[in-house]
Amino acid sequence: MFQTTNVELIDKLFIYFLVVAGIIFLLVVFFVFYYLFKYRRKQTAEEPEQIHGNEKLEYSLTAVAILITGIFTYLTIDTMRKVQDIPDNPEPFVQIIGHQWWWEAQYPETGVITANEIHIPVGKKVLVQLNSDDVIHSWWVAQLGRKMDMIPGITNYVWLYADKPGEYLGTCSEFCGAQHAGMRIRVIADEERAFNSWSQQQLEPVAQLDDPLFKKGEKLFEEKTCTNCHAINGTPFTMKVGPNLTHFASRKHFLGDLKVNNEENLRAWLHDPQNVKPGAKMPNFIFSDQEVDALVEYINNLK
Amino acid sequence: MSLFINIPEDSEQLPSLKTGQGKLLWIASVDHKQIGIMYLWLALFFFVVGGLEAMLIRAQLAIPENTLISPELYNQIFTMHGITMIFLVAMPALVGFATYFLPLMIGANEMAFPRLNAFGFWITLMGGFLMYFSFFAGGAPNAGWFNYVPLSENNYSSAPGVDYYIIGLILTGIGSISAALNFITTTLTLRSPDIKLNMVPLFVWMVFINGFLILAAFPLLNAGLFMLLIDRQFDAHFFIPSSGGSAILWQHFFWAFGHPEVYIMALPAFGIISEVVPVFSRKPIFGYKFVAVSSIAIALLAYSVWLHHMFAVGYSNTVNSFFAISSMLIGIPTGLKVINWIGTMYKGSIQLTVPMLFVVAFLIDFTIGGLSGVSFAIVPIDWQLTDTYYLVAHLHYVFVGGVIFSIFAGLYYWFPKMSGRMLSAKLGKWHFWLFVIGFNLTFLIQHILGIIGMPRRIYTYPDLPNWELMNVLSSIGAVFMFAGMVILFWNLYTTLKKPRSAPEDPWDAWTLEWHTPSPPDLKNFGEIPRVYSRRPLWDLKHPDKPDKRLN
Ligand code: HEC
Ligand SMILES: [Cu+2]
Repeated sequence: MFQTTNVELIDKLFIYFLVVAGIIFLLVVFFVFYYLFKYRRKQTAEEPEQIHGNEKLEYSLTAVAILITGIFTYLTIDTMRKVQDIPDNPEPFVQIIGHQWWWEAQYPETGVITANEIHIPVGKKVLVQLNSDDVIHSWWVAQLGRKMDMIPGITNYVWLYADKPGEYLGTCSEFCGAQHAGMRIRVIADEERAFNSWSQQQLEPVAQLDDPLFKKGEKLFEEKTCTNCHAINGTPFTMKVGPNLTHFASRKHFLGDLKVNNEENLRAWLHDPQNVKPGAKMPNFIFSDQEVDALVEYINNLK
Repeated sequence: MSLFINIPEDSEQLPSLKTGQGKLLWIASVDHKQIGIMYLWLALFFFVVGGLEAMLIRAQLAIPENTLISPELYNQIFTMHGITMIFLVAMPALVGFATYFLPLMIGANEMAFPRLNAFGFWITLMGGFLMYFSFFAGGAPNAGWFNYVPLSENNYSSAPGVDYYIIGLILTGIGSISAALNFITTTLTLRSPDIKLNMVPLFVWMVFINGFLILAAFPLLNAGLFMLLIDRQFDAHFFIPSSGGSAILWQHFFWAFGHPEVYIMALPAFGIISEVVPVFSRKPIFGYKFVAVSSIAIALLAYSVWLHHMFAVGYSNTVNSFFAISSMLIGIPTGLKVINWIGTMYKGSIQLTVPMLFVVAFLIDFTIGGLSGVSFAIVPIDWQLTDTYYLVAHLHYVFVGGVIFSIFAGLYYWFPKMSGRMLSAKLGKWHFWLFVIGFNLTFLIQHILGIIGMPRRIYTYPDLPNWELMNVLSSIGAVFMFAGMVILFWNLYTTLKKPRSAPEDPWDAWTLEWHTPSPPDLKNFGEIPRVYSRRPLWDLKHPDKPDKRLN
């Protein structure tokens, strides 16, 4: 059965608004310029007739205004109830948590935990639970649904719906500090099968290689206290100050969708996070090139 | 008969620059005209500062991924730009006009509380300087003019900028409250005995109603500010959710002040428009009663709409519906006013002087701002477009297209009265065209930027299709506005160097301020003419066809 999506409902309402507002605006422009021209000061200027008003006109215009307001009130409430209909006992498909300045995602059904690149299945309305770990953020992917704030201490829900597979861009929409601009969103809508295999792959245990450089990186990762902030599934390290890195290399973008995930960008990030994303809550470790080599080898193999 | 005791005029002479030569009189003066002018200078000074901040913002945003300004500095600049334009430009400019003209328009010689008047000015200035001092004391406020918690709490903003914000705004808030007390009391008690309350010029009426708005709104802000100060300085938890506070409470305080604040700026601006349109259309205002009563409606409704700033917070449909309805309703009295102003032009004899040009630009651009405002009352549209550049465009159409254009209209209109000199009309037209074209170039396109997804308050943006083009155009517009402002300053400078030559009543106007020399003497009125209607000078000039007598 054909169903209008939330985004289409809102778009339709916006078009209605634009038409009515456009007409009102054109009327104002017309009368202002018509009067300016028609009643411009003539040379032999005598004072014009002193008209003090016209109550009938004002009352009738007020009535028209109230009528228009009434119509839009109805449309507003009707659309609002369709778009924001959260069930009483919401069972979210995914929980997204805003952090300064990245996104954490947890899928309760499968247990997948990831960051920044958020996958959803296509053609299905998914309920998303929104929380914040620090300050107020706001979740907004215009093509998938409405905007909703993520507020510490409060749980909000929002519906997302993607009708076509693909990547949808969005952005944090509540000012949240130095890197508010760097808190962009990428949602990837997959066909059912692709989504399932993505989930499977995210549930794989963390990669293990025998490559000595990889081993060195792994060791550095622990020694240099990366584990104080980053979690790796299946290890004792579960901190969530920074993104979960278990399958970091499976993501095409990183840092809240700020950068493409390639070796060059990763190197730059490890060399000096503050240069790549000024203000980001990760310190500069002042690594030697060899150490960065090892860490990159390690992290880039966390597929 | 009178509900209020008439305050006797001071018998001793109050200090004023006109009574002596001492430099200290600049500070000691309690002359309402002097203070009004000082308010205007204050506004002008901060307009330069806030304008330069805006230019920096537009320079940074002209191209994607620009590194001209660091995010830390950018956040300070956009925060200070907002605070400056609202609290240190628009408010003082409007308060300045009101301080100067309210007594003159009702046949009074002073404000009801001259010393409080001076206090209000100085404390506002103090608040402004204090906020700017933060730049030298470890960084300016950087959590936005709305200063949302918990971002503005110690955990996330440990620099003292936010403390400067809090104390600075508490001070300017006290200043605004003093001014409001004075406007209300002066209007109630110092009107010339002929003038009944339904005969005062509409500017006076708007400032009067506005006084009540200020008296109810600013204490809310100051209460919230004090709570935040206690949180930050004494480790309380009003707004800290992790230890039992609420992250939303601050938003309620702030917007319960913040939305009335919009009308606190808009009402006096509407008052100026309601003075200028009639004079240059050569007709009385169309529907005095409607303009006056609709202002009361606006003032009351202004208190029941604040949640429309918070539609994305996640309140239930019931709560949102209430605020959607009230927000749409407030559009009606505002829209009616536009009709009244256009009705005033109908069958008039319109002179396109510089003040009238600004009124025309106001009518068009404020209508845009008002209509886009209604789209935020339509909750689902708000859910998509709030906190985007569409909102930035909307608020600038209201604040610049509405308030600042009115202030310019008032400036060109009243400048001869205040200074005894006419501003050059030729330069005024240059200022007008550059500023108005630049303004529309800068902000019209931002509606589209918002619709295609650009959020506000970002120090830079990725290179997405069309974003750069639109941002460049927007920045070019800002250059035009800047050029317009340079011309205004040149106009002020050259005009003020000329000798005084303005006649008493250069525009052939009808309200009492034009019945005094330009500029008025220390004592405004030697003798006040008898007043029988809303346009005393019309009656004097046209004894054969006076307005209907109202007293
Ligand atoms: C103090 C906490 C902290 C420590 C210690 C830390 N990080 Fe981070 N890291 C973060 C934060 C916070 C982010 C997210 C930054 C952002 O996007 O704003 C991050 C992001 C990253 C990312 C990008 C993840 C993504 O998906 O965007 C990588 C890779 C990374 N860190 C690696 C490391 C390595 C390697 C170490 C140890 C040398 C380390 N981090 C130490 C806090 C930390
Ligand atoms: Cu954010």
